Amino acid sequence: MGSRQRQRTSALVVIVRTFGELMITFGVVVLLFVVYTLYVTDIVAAKKQDGVNDELERSWAAPVAQQPAQQDKKPKRPAKPEQGAGFARIYIPHFGKDFQFVIVEGVGSAELEIGPGHYPDTALPGQPGNVGIAGHRIGKGAPFNDLDKLNSCDAIVLETETDFFVYRVMPMPDEVANWESVKQRDPRCARVPSLRKAGQPEGGPYGRTVGRRIVTPDRGDAVAPVPYRPENPLPKAQQASLVTLTTCHPEYGNSERMIVHGALVNQVPKQQAGSYEALLGLIGEPV
Amino acid sequence: MYGWMWRHLPGPLVVRLFTAIALLIVIVAVLLFVVFPWLEPKLPFNDVSV
Repeated sequence: MGSRQRQRTSALVVIVRTFGELMITFGVVVLLFVVYTLYVTDIVAAKKQDGVNDELERSWAAPVAQQPAQQDKKPKRPAKPEQGAGFARIYIPHFGKDFQFVIVEGVGSAELEIGPGHYPDTALPGQPGNVGIAGHRIGKGAPFNDLDKLNSCDAIVLETETDFFVYRVMPMPDEVANWESVKQRDPRCARVPSLRKAGQPEGGPYGRTVGRRIVTPDRGDAVAPVPYRPENPLPKAQQASLVTLTTCHPEYGNSERMIVHGALVNQVPKQQAGSYEALLGLIGEPV
Repeated sequence: MYGWMWRHLPGPLVVRLFTAIALLIVIVAVLLFVVFPWLEPKLPFNDVSV
């Protein structure tokens, strides 16, 4: 532009043009933010997940007894995992043979960026009570992106240092009523219980525990030892061994939470199973 | 705004072009690695726990 022309450009034109440029810039920045949320966070999370995976493998490979002075006290690892540390793996065969994540302790944003997070103070894999696990549905590895696609009897496998614990998704709300006949369609359902007790008010202590529910974000009791029963009506010995997965709902919102409940149907020592692939054959999942 | 910036970049066309691209990359990097990681947890898109 020549200098004479520039002088003729009125102030109004400059203001309108600058405003337009700012608006376009803002739009591009918002688009960039979408790219960040959906893709860049995945890359960062994958790196962190690799890190905890390496640590977990190292700690499982290390000999358990490292304190020879305390032979009489059982040389066990600490019962409670450390905040932010990986202590187990989750596999969901329905999401593909290669779907696996290290579960870390804690459900803060720092932990969930690494992988699915275990609600502190909920049961550990295999214990009676409820293993609560939260995971992202969008970005940051999105481990629980497809929770809405799980069907009843789909396997949720938790791997600890010594065992594979096979949980299966409990009957969906529309299947609960005649579960005994519905479950015949699939041999994998053979040991999947409907914990609802027909004769009892509200179906008994587990009357509200079904395969999948959508709840409001304040339902912290979804991961209670007996789900949705914060008053905990059963002693530990009578509690079913459950796993509960939580993620956001709707997919891009936070007004609700999607909850998936599974019940423990199988415990296979890792020495017996050998590998996860071999386990899939043992529990009747397509390999 | 962008026209004004372009006119104030020093050097011949090639140098200006490189400066502009470098500036753009710096701005995108600051957004992706500083601004967005700070902003994202404050937005109500991805709360997954109960």
